[in-house]
Amino acid sequence: MDARLRRVNKEITDCKNDKTSKIRVELVDNSPFHLIGSFLGPEGTPYEGGHFEVDIVIPDSYPFQPVKMKFITKVYHPNVSSASGAICLDILKDAWSPVLTLKSTLISLQSLLCSPEPNDPQDAEVAKHYMTSRASFEETAKYWTHIYAGGPGATKGAKVVTATDSASLDEVVMAGLEKAHVDKFEALGFDRSKVIDVLRRLNYRGANVAKLNDDRIVEELLR
Amino acid sequence: MSSDYELSDNEYYDEDDDEMMYEDDDGSASEMDVDFKITPSAKPKSYEIEYESLTQPQVEKLITQDVEDISGIFGVEPDVASLLLRHFNWNKERLIEKYMDNATAVSVAAGLALPEKAEPSSSRSRSTGSSLGLGIRRATRRNTAEQPKSGKTKILERVSPPADDQPFVCPICFDDSQTKTLSLSCEHKFCSECWNTYVTSKIRTEAEHWITCMAEDCKLVATDEFVKSALKDDAKTFARFQELVVRQFVSCNKNLKYCPYPSCTHTVSCPAGASKSALTTIVPIVSCGANASHKFCFGCAIDADHRPVVCGVAKMWLQKCQDDSETANWIKSNTKECSKCQSTIEKNGGCNHMTCKKCKYEFCWVCMGPWTEHGTAWYSCNRYDEKASIDARDAQSRSRASLERYLHYYNRWANHEQSAKLSVELYAKTERKMEEMQITSDMTWIEVQFMKKAMDEVFKCRMTLKWTYAMAYYLAKNNQKELFEDNQRDLERAVEELSELIESSIDPESALALRQKVTDKTVYVQKRNEIMLEDTANGYLEERWNWNIAVDGFDEPAEIAI
Repeated sequence: MDARLRRVNKEITDCKNDKTSKIRVELVDNSPFHLIGSFLGPEGTPYEGGHFEVDIVIPDSYPFQPVKMKFITKVYHPNVSSASGAICLDILKDAWSPVLTLKSTLISLQSLLCSPEPNDPQDAEVAKHYMTSRASFEETAKYWTHIYAGGPGATKGAKVVTATDSASLDEVVMAGLEKAHVDKFEALGFDRSKVIDVLRRLNYRGANVAKLNDDRIVEELLR
Repeated sequence: MSSDYELSDNEYYDEDDDEMMYEDDDGSASEMDVDFKITPSAKPKSYEIEYESLTQPQVEKLITQDVEDISGIFGVEPDVASLLLRHFNWNKERLIEKYMDNATAVSVAAGLALPEKAEPSSSRSRSTGSSLGLGIRRATRRNTAEQPKSGKTKILERVSPPADDQPFVCPICFDDSQTKTLSLSCEHKFCSECWNTYVTSKIRTEAEHWITCMAEDCKLVATDEFVKSALKDDAKTFARFQELVVRQFVSCNKNLKYCPYPSCTHTVSCPAGASKSALTTIVPIVSCGANASHKFCFGCAIDADHRPVVCGVAKMWLQKCQDDSETANWIKSNTKECSKCQSTIEKNGGCNHMTCKKCKYEFCWVCMGPWTEHGTAWYSCNRYDEKASIDARDAQSRSRASLERYLHYYNRWANHEQSAKLSVELYAKTERKMEEMQITSDMTWIEVQFMKKAMDEVFKCRMTLKWTYAMAYYLAKNNQKELFEDNQRDLERAVEELSELIESSIDPESALALRQKVTDKTVYVQKRNEIMLEDTANGYLEERWNWNIAVDGFDEPAEIAI
């Protein structure tokens, strides 16, 4: 049997037999080289209670080249692209070692959720949010966990959602912004989605709000 | 003239014989050229630079010298010395200093020894370099026939693994039937198959010359000997590995540069072009010696002969041509933006009453204000004379003038560039002509070579001319620039005349006369090209050239005059 197949099969069996780590690996269209891994959000983090799925592709040169992994579940995290799910983690790149396994890599991803590295970000905007206003970041991360990963309701989202403006509110909270801020600029006659876009890009959150004056925002909105 | 213009066959494979003059190892090209030289003196020309072309074995010899030095000083195996040097990017002085300071720490950092843990036998690995935990440990069930090459290297061969009750399962491929295992002195054992694939993939896919142990977080690095044994009989991959080491050595040494042409393994040593400050006075164009077309600049990343322009200016020009900044410049001078929807609009005639196609906004092209404000004053914008709009128009015409100036130089540059690209076709055409000439007139194949020689010269001069336009674009306007442009004009005229001669139809009767004419012209063109290069090169040395823009290494331009 081909060494790669033998190794992957053994890794899949190992994950199945291991009940304690709650890490699961499932086959996509019966090929052992395209898998979906999943794990639970680590406790004591905004990701707690969430169920995160990861797309896993085993390259031909595995295990001598790293597996390709990206999040299927949307995650609000400095080292994960909020758009594509791409992950910035050293062991998935140059620090890969052939002795690492699917399981150990998924555990590393889990611990990446515990300890973000905002200085080496994948998603610069999220990293900025993380650096400037931690509380607001965690609020948003929790909200994303709730919406996308089936986590428990975030305090903010659960409280205010009403039937009429739930859609627009979601957008605001999703971007980690304050509804009042968005409303303020929207009242000036700008498109709501544009306001959200600009405010997110300029990181109009927490302490940063005081640093950005309204003219700067309007200037950006007028572009 | 024609009598001393005898050419031998070999010559036509050298595109630039002058280049080869100063090479020791390229004897084939040097002597044959003498009869075709304008100045037979061996005095180096001011636009040429001294350099030496090295083959890979020659560079390997340099490496071996360094390795042997270090090996002798530290009393370590050559393999160890090589790794130490590679870790220190071949900086011998720094290595010696650091190693003398703390040999153990250096060895650990270089991946030659394990970091000390609470090991009882640690005193052994601490003592001297020669006992660095470096030996390859090999455990085989059968005694392999392979013998360690050097008696000093510690290769441990074991007849059987110490604990035979448990079969060895490779932690990577989970195969329990493998009988041969390899490990570095860290004792992280893996089967030889996995090592083989791993090392091959590191070398082939990642072009890595620094191969560490496969275990997670193990920094121990494999010696050349280990790499060789892991690769088994894959000599090709091992050769690639050695090439990678050579490449690292070359890239660490500023006097050396690797030939940038694909799959070329030659190196050029050019100490004169190595310092950044020298690049304001010389253009270090070198040829690697493997092939006459492998010409590149030692000072910058341009893979072509960019004489007479110095690296800094050449780079700026290429950047400018590549950037879409000029497109933007065009847009700036030819278009305006709709003040409502920001679409770019080019006015292609008609009156000043514009209606944006996209958002239907109506405005005045002159003042860009809404058309409604013009009231009944149709076609006479009352804001026309306002200072703001005058300024705007001035800015627009200035931008247009600079665009035109750029295009003047760019078109001429592109023209020579284009003709260089077409040269393949032209060479084929010339060849056909040469055959024809052989048939129609009494000339031998050797005698008709003057055509090819002329072609070569035209091609070479077009390259020079091409870069002179880049240079002229950046030269500040003064007498020097005028002299430069005179030389440029003379060269260009001569080149155009020669290419016309080459392309003219052949008449059997006048073939001999044509030959004479082409030969004379070729010599003249060659001379003009030399004058051009010589004069610019001397100009750099005499600091005669002033730029109209700030160039790295040169004085700031005093007053920008274009």
